[in-house]
Amino acid sequence: MAEQEEQPLTRSEAPVPGSTQTGRAVALARLLQRECSQLLQLYKERETFLLDHAPDGGRMVSLSTESEEPSAEEQVQLLHSALRQCLGLLHCLIKKEEEEWGKLEQEYETLKMHVKTRLERLLYTTRDLVGNEDGTLEVTPDHQCNEEVDGPFGLKMWTYNVLLELIHWADHAEKTLHVLHTEKGGTEEI
Amino acid sequence: MACLLKSTISKSDCRPFWVVVLLLGISAENTQAKTVLAVPQHVSLSANYPTQQLSISWFGGKATIFEIIILRTEFNETVFYDTVSAVVNQDGGQHQWTWTSVEPLECTSLSVKICSREGNARSEWSEPQILEGRDIPSNSDAQMYPHSKVVSVGSNTTFCCIVAEGMELKKIYYGGTLMNVTRLSRRSYATTAVNQTASRPSGTNVFCLPHGRNVISGAVIFVGYPPRPRKLSCETQDLISAVCHWDEGPDTNLQGNRTTRYSINNRYCPQKSCGTPQWDGSWTLVAVNPLGQYTLTDSAELDHRVCPVEPVNLTAVVQIFNVTVDWKWKYDYSNHELVCQVELVSSNTTLRNFSGKGLHSVVLLDLHFDEEYRVKVRCGSQKHFWKWGSWSKAVTFKTKPYVPDSPDVWLWVNRDSGQIIWKPLTRWQSRGQIKGYQVTFWSPGENEPSVKFLSAGNNFLSVNLTRWASFSGDNKLNATVTVKAVGGVSRPSNVPLRLTANFQPGVRYNFSLYSCPSDFPVLMRRWIGYMQELVPSSSVNLETTQQDCDVVLTWDEIPLANRRGFLQGYNVYISNGSQLILLANLNIGTRTYTVKGLSGSTHKFTVKAYTSAGEDTGGTAAISMKECGDGLILEILASLGMVTLLLVTAAYFCYKKRGWVKKAFYPDIPEPKLPGDWSRTRGPLDLKPAPHSMVNIIEKPERDLIKDALIAIAEEEEIDAGDGIGDEPVDTDEPQSLRYYNQVVDERPIRPRFPDSSVSSSSSVDSANTDVTYTGIQTSCSSLVFPSDSQSPSEVFQPHHSLPVSSGDRGGGYQPQMHPVASASSEPLEEPQALSSGGYKPQSSWLLDSPREADEKMSPTHSLGSPTSVSSSQFLLPDGEEHKEERQASSSAAAWFTNLLTSAKP
Repeated sequence: MAEQEEQPLTRSEAPVPGSTQTGRAVALARLLQRECSQLLQLYKERETFLLDHAPDGGRMVSLSTESEEPSAEEQVQLLHSALRQCLGLLHCLIKKEEEEWGKLEQEYETLKMHVKTRLERLLYTTRDLVGNEDGTLEVTPDHQCNEEVDGPFGLKMWTYNVLLELIHWADHAEKTLHVLHTEKGGTEEI
Repeated sequence: MACLLKSTISKSDCRPFWVVVLLLGISAENTQAKTVLAVPQHVSLSANYPTQQLSISWFGGKATIFEIIILRTEFNETVFYDTVSAVVNQDGGQHQWTWTSVEPLECTSLSVKICSREGNARSEWSEPQILEGRDIPSNSDAQMYPHSKVVSVGSNTTFCCIVAEGMELKKIYYGGTLMNVTRLSRRSYATTAVNQTASRPSGTNVFCLPHGRNVISGAVIFVGYPPRPRKLSCETQDLISAVCHWDEGPDTNLQGNRTTRYSINNRYCPQKSCGTPQWDGSWTLVAVNPLGQYTLTDSAELDHRVCPVEPVNLTAVVQIFNVTVDWKWKYDYSNHELVCQVELVSSNTTLRNFSGKGLHSVVLLDLHFDEEYRVKVRCGSQKHFWKWGSWSKAVTFKTKPYVPDSPDVWLWVNRDSGQIIWKPLTRWQSRGQIKGYQVTFWSPGENEPSVKFLSAGNNFLSVNLTRWASFSGDNKLNATVTVKAVGGVSRPSNVPLRLTANFQPGVRYNFSLYSCPSDFPVLMRRWIGYMQELVPSSSVNLETTQQDCDVVLTWDEIPLANRRGFLQGYNVYISNGSQLILLANLNIGTRTYTVKGLSGSTHKFTVKAYTSAGEDTGGTAAISMKECGDGLILEILASLGMVTLLLVTAAYFCYKKRGWVKKAFYPDIPEPKLPGDWSRTRGPLDLKPAPHSMVNIIEKPERDLIKDALIAIAEEEEIDAGDGIGDEPVDTDEPQSLRYYNQVVDERPIRPRFPDSSVSSSSSVDSANTDVTYTGIQTSCSSLVFPSDSQSPSEVFQPHHSLPVSSGDRGGGYQPQMHPVASASSEPLEEPQALSSGGYKPQSSWLLDSPREADEKMSPTHSLGSPTSVSSSQFLLPDGEEHKEERQASSSAAAWFTNLLTSAKP
């Protein structure tokens, strides 16, 4: 498993087909989505009660857009904002789990750190895609981490929702960036 | 009330009366109150949800015993009902009692009622007091309790699930286990997990699934152990502060918020080790987790707990084959005695210890030349060693090369070719990389030696010895080998090229081996050998000697000069006409051999010595055998013939002179006259008196009783029964028989024959002719008295009391030569000397001539001096068992002789 995780990190830094910045962003988002899914899978293997539980579909991270039909770049900016919130949620999740459980299984902890690193890298990528001449786009976590969870069981449910949110936004990022990549003349296949 | 009573009394003249009435009234009122117990008032409930304890307090008057009932409010089910003795708060008179619920108090609403009780009397129930559960309609969400309890392994926990309003419970799971459920209220359901096992760090999930909707409510329970740390030890590294370490012990299975917290001397320890700025001397570790706490203590003096830090800045200064290693200390150990361990790693690993106050430098001696080493250091306290400190970082150095050792050189010769060979130097001997070898040939008279250079991989040089011999002439030629290495040139090793090619086969040489490298050769070994062994040049000098029918071969050693090899042994041959037959193969130490069982006249022997090359021609010797073996047989046959002749002559003489012999040795004995009934009355001797037997009773005819026992033996019957009787076994239980022997009345004493063994009853039978003559001859006790009962019957004939011949009162048999009056004395039987004497005993001890004299002396011996006597020509047989066979033989011989004479009667 460790080798599988190490390999994508190398791939993210290597030139992807097309060699464009948007192509690298799409690949990175795809990689993030895959790792988030693996993390959720590990989590559900430990917390088996979640196998019988279907998410209610509510979003923890929401976007507010002023224009009804934002351009691809505006969508990337929105995506960047959502990813910052996701990174904030992930930081909060790591902190809460550390407090509540201490160190958990090595594989889960390692993959969690990989997702964090990948998300931070994707933030840098999206910032660079939309241009940041004025320095308004930040890459820091955007979350207060002031949720009140109802005991350990509530924390588990909250963690489950955070992981689902990460998967959702990683998937959204891949799609958004792919649109941008297409608009900028990138190839379909990445 | 008090005021009313006071005004009433003041207005009346009959004060005492009214006072009494009032007191009686009050008393009556109090009596009525006692019979009707007060209902508990102001019942209040206080819940401790984490501990699931419900504290109930109330005012209950003077009652001390109460009945409490707790119901689940919705279903009106009784949870608890019992009589309790409540604690009374002395200040306010409030009673208090605490109840612990199995289910969490949040599960459902509980109603509490109390009544007072005294004896059989009981008050009314108080108004129900309700503790609201979390399943009330206003709280419509799904819930599960307890939320996050921490319990010990093996305990039981009851959970309750409150489903959302309008929902029905489907299942409750504990981990992956479907649980049995008990309904507590409309929305609340309970289940109990028993004997819980340790949970994971993230706890065990307990959750309930309602029907219809996929909404999960649940809780997490943590099952673990209380802390059990161990091995607390505190030490110092800087000689000032203390650092304590401990082992956490078994896993508590509790992490995160529930992990074990440690403190040392009331200082919180975030890590698993903890320090104090000063050396306290004693430390207390307290470990706490939600399931309990554990305490460990340690105490020590500072000097006993010094663990130096790791040495830093290690450097190595290399000399030729020594190195100085220096290091620095983070703390000041200059006044502390240290012992340091240096690990030296090259091809192998060695440890060297050094000590000193504040040690920071050591010298490593006797290292190998041109060798790379890796060294690291750790130290401990020397005086009160506690433990080694950490290893320093390793440093690497390399020693310098040096002059190599001299090689071992020798000369290998094969006829006229040879090789100068030297032993390859080891890594340590070369002391650096070898560049090559230099071989120098020189002789003392030559000024210009011949030099050859060889590369490092060579270890020999071929030479033509014949050519070198022609060059050197009579001079002694030498070869010198030196090793050239990085560190220099070795000292030369010499080997003389002495071309002694004149070794002769069959010549014995003394070899001496000297070590060559030094200038002064050292003898290492000396031995004797042949270049080639041959058969001995001379043979052994063989000599033969006859011993009876054997031939002894002896020979001398072959002279050393003639052996021409190492003798391995001798082969001995006998010549059989034209060929040699091997008789024996002898080892070299044997030089004699005996050939046995030879016959014939002349034999020829050959002995050959042999070496590894074969046998010599052999030494031969012949011998003519003298007669052997038949003379002894002839001598034996001649002796036997002579004896036979003598016996025949003696027999013939006896036959011719048998009359004289009979008269001389075996005269006829008159037969006794038997006046009475001589029939046998007692058992042992079943003999019939022969018609010609005669007993002459000379005196004491009145001894009828004795006569009754006399049994005469018929001569003819004896003869008839004589064969083989003597071989019959002795039956000592049988009554002994009296034997009557052929008697020669002469001057010789009468010797009673011991009728023992084969001569008991049977021997009396084989008597040829029995004559008993009473001639007034008395026998002595030594000749007639039988041994006493105390003696073994096997040693001495021992007549039983039933014997016909016995002494005194022994009974009813015939008693020759006995005193007529039974003396009843056993003294005659106590004559051991006479009885114990061996060999035959001539009857020469007749002491008394008449029984009268015997009577006068009243001695046992005299009592035997009866005029009744038995005269016999038979010899007395010796006493004792050791003469048993002899007696038998004598008896048999006598019987045979008697028979011979009897048969010879005309």
